[in-house]
Amino acid sequence: MLASVPSSTLDGIDGAAVEVEVHVTNGLPAFTIVGLPDASCREARDRVRAAIESSDLSWPMQRITVNLAPTCVRKVGAGLDLPIGLGILAASEQIPLESLSDISAVGELGLDGSLRPVPGILPMVDVLKTNRVVVAAADAGVAALGAGDRVRPVRRLRDVVDVVCEGLPWPCVEPPAFTDEEADEPDLADVRGQTSARWALEIAAAGGHHLLLIGPPGGGKTMLARRLPGLLPDLSAEAARLVTRVHSAAAIRLPGSGLVRRPPFRAPHHSASMAALVGGGSGRVLPGEISVATEGVLFLDELGEFAPSVLDGLRQPLEEGVVRVARSGGMREHPANVLLVAAMNPCPCGEGGSVSCRCGPSARMRYSRRISGPVLDRLDVMVHVDRPSPTALLEREAGEPSSVVAERVARVRELALGRGARTNASLNREQLEDAAPLEPDATDVLHQALADGRLSARGAMRVRAVARTIRDLDDGGPTLRARDVYSAIGLRVRPPMGSFDA
Amino acid sequence: MREDTRAAALASLQAATPLRLHNLLERRPVGEAFEAVESGRLGAEVAPVEVLAEWQRELRGIDLGALSERLDSAGACVSTLRDPIHPVQLVNDVDPAPVLFSSGTLPDPSLAHVAVIGTRRASSIGREVAREIGMGLAEAGVVVVSGLALGIDGEAHRGALLANGAPPLAVVGSGIDVVYPKRHRELWAGVVAAGAVVTEAPLGGRPEPWRFPARNRLIAAFSDLVVVVESRASGGSLLTVEQALRRDVEVMAVPGSVRNKAAQGANQLLVDGCAPARDVVDVLVALGLSQATLATRRGRAGAGAADSAAGSCAGPAARSGALDAGGALVLDAIDDGPTSMDEVVHRSGLGVLEVYAHVEELVAAGLVVHDGSRIRRHLDVDRC
Repeated sequence: MLASVPSSTLDGIDGAAVEVEVHVTNGLPAFTIVGLPDASCREARDRVRAAIESSDLSWPMQRITVNLAPTCVRKVGAGLDLPIGLGILAASEQIPLESLSDISAVGELGLDGSLRPVPGILPMVDVLKTNRVVVAAADAGVAALGAGDRVRPVRRLRDVVDVVCEGLPWPCVEPPAFTDEEADEPDLADVRGQTSARWALEIAAAGGHHLLLIGPPGGGKTMLARRLPGLLPDLSAEAARLVTRVHSAAAIRLPGSGLVRRPPFRAPHHSASMAALVGGGSGRVLPGEISVATEGVLFLDELGEFAPSVLDGLRQPLEEGVVRVARSGGMREHPANVLLVAAMNPCPCGEGGSVSCRCGPSARMRYSRRISGPVLDRLDVMVHVDRPSPTALLEREAGEPSSVVAERVARVRELALGRGARTNASLNREQLEDAAPLEPDATDVLHQALADGRLSARGAMRVRAVARTIRDLDDGGPTLRARDVYSAIGLRVRPPMGSFDA
Repeated sequence: MREDTRAAALASLQAATPLRLHNLLERRPVGEAFEAVESGRLGAEVAPVEVLAEWQRELRGIDLGALSERLDSAGACVSTLRDPIHPVQLVNDVDPAPVLFSSGTLPDPSLAHVAVIGTRRASSIGREVAREIGMGLAEAGVVVVSGLALGIDGEAHRGALLANGAPPLAVVGSGIDVVYPKRHRELWAGVVAAGAVVTEAPLGGRPEPWRFPARNRLIAAFSDLVVVVESRASGGSLLTVEQALRRDVEVMAVPGSVRNKAAQGANQLLVDGCAPARDVVDVLVALGLSQATLATRRGRAGAGAADSAAGSCAGPAARSGALDAGGALVLDAIDDGPTSMDEVVHRSGLGVLEVYAHVEELVAAGLVVHDGSRIRRHLDVDRC
């Protein structure tokens, strides 16, 4: 007997439809699984057998062949357990064959016959077109984002058998309680002092400009960076779906509601490998941190400690907003629209710029050389974060809360959308000419800076974009004034310990 | 065979310290000394007998023809105390240099020579001061003597080269064909082109630690005045100072912040009674060069030394006149030392946007320096 159950597997961050065909015939008892399964998929035999026997059903003592079509796609994970189990039951005539028409299934089986959630359920159900999609109860919330009311959540294998054999109704599963995890974002009101760093943070959030925080240890660089997502507006419906898909595929715990609605914040440790940061890995191409942080904030603390080759790997994704990971099996394109925030000490001892610095000039030079110019060039806003003075720390008055800043940020982001770009930072040359005309004295300032060699041609374009954001935040006037351009130049990144040690 | 090649051969012997070479060359001309070493006719008054035996063996292995070619290709000139080209300052020295290698053209000994020395691990302000003093001195027609080391020494020479004035003189601790530190390759070439680099070390001589105190004594011997820009509590610069005092050469020190470790040695010198050097004018006054004679020397009537010291001062001075009220307020809020942006915002009472704008305007006008982390006044601002 032959049975066939539609299912799907993960390919990068996308789902790929898989037809699970099960053939049961007379012969010596055997179980063969073909069609490019990976190790966890191959182990399905033992799980499925135990699950079937624990569900008061019988494992056919016959020759069983499972084919996962199309054979060219690599099948990963245990999500195919459930369709394989259902296929075996149908092919061995324990459940009626026709009852499986219009049912697709994704889920991992436990030895007791229970159904477990699988990572990447959202992209996987996206490619399932049947009218009933059976998933684990724990996956129901997320799966519903993709398949809506076609989702049939079940707790165990037996539930499905009961429905298709006994005609019982589909079990009613309470969706997991909504927890308001998003409310936990740290607030800018906790930050005392740090006038210029707050301002730079606001500019970065409003214009989508990549940010570099430089300062001694204990200055509050990490504290500030963690407050950046709180300044960003909620994700648009489209962005929320994209982020949720990526997070689902990367097996990151999703918020209780299933949909990621707040911009993600990712802070990989500086020992991260290239594959961890941009994506990759053997077997399935996993999304890297830059993709997981898409539409949100990627925070690289201790920038100088990251392997230089890994940092250079970020250049192309930062430029294009997507990361293309090529493997012998093909190329995967993952989203990489991040707001990059980097933090580093001014020198190895961390006290650079003040008289108590203990580093020799060569040590400082080595440290600043660790970060390649092209990477620094992509960071449009740089600010020094000092240790706050004791008086500022003891001040009882809280700083401006995130909600107030976020309102201004949202307004500027609206303006950028009106100009035809995601953010001011992604305005191209023509759009800048249109949207950021220079007043005559601002032109002089820019020309002077170019002539003095304080700016490169590329730098001048970036300065214009930042100046646009500065003006948008100030009074939203149509043109760029000299002061806007001056401030943007002042915020421009230069190598740490630059001119003081030339 | 050329005398200078033989002198170079003698200087390249193992453990041929300046003292031993002096003992050897004091009584006899180079040729005679060479033969004496070669034939082992010397006594322990020159060096211990085992060293002499070693020298004898070594000298026989030296290919004088090849050595002479190496001297030529390195553009090196060798002189001994008896040579007329030997720098006159070293001939009558208490601790003379018996053999000296030089490359470039030695500055006229009648010009004033001032050593500008200091720590290799200098602060950014120290470097700037060294560069300005070097520049001011060279412009005033004074030979800047230094060691081409990292930090203060190198900056002093960099300034002297920028001024395009009197030729600089570098006394180094490595062979004339061994650039040390490597990072100063261009600076080294610049000094050779404009002035001279001299050393006691033989061709190919490594920068061995014991060479540096000996090198420092030559810096002192060459100079009419020694200026210590920044020196740590102990260090090579203080050895130079000792050597200067031994020769009755006046020592001046640039005062530094009491919190600046790199300036501790210089500040101690001030406490011990050295004259303070705030800028190049103080140095020139101590040298006894009045501003009037400087002006004539440079053939620039009416131009004072102060102007030259301030370098590009005319520009900022002219531009600072155009500062608006906000700019002046911000400039007031910036210290001479590194000041953080937040402090400036706090002190000026202006908004962050205005402060950033004004600071960058002041940077463009050359009045302040901003390294991305801190801001401070340009050193010349107050002098204008």
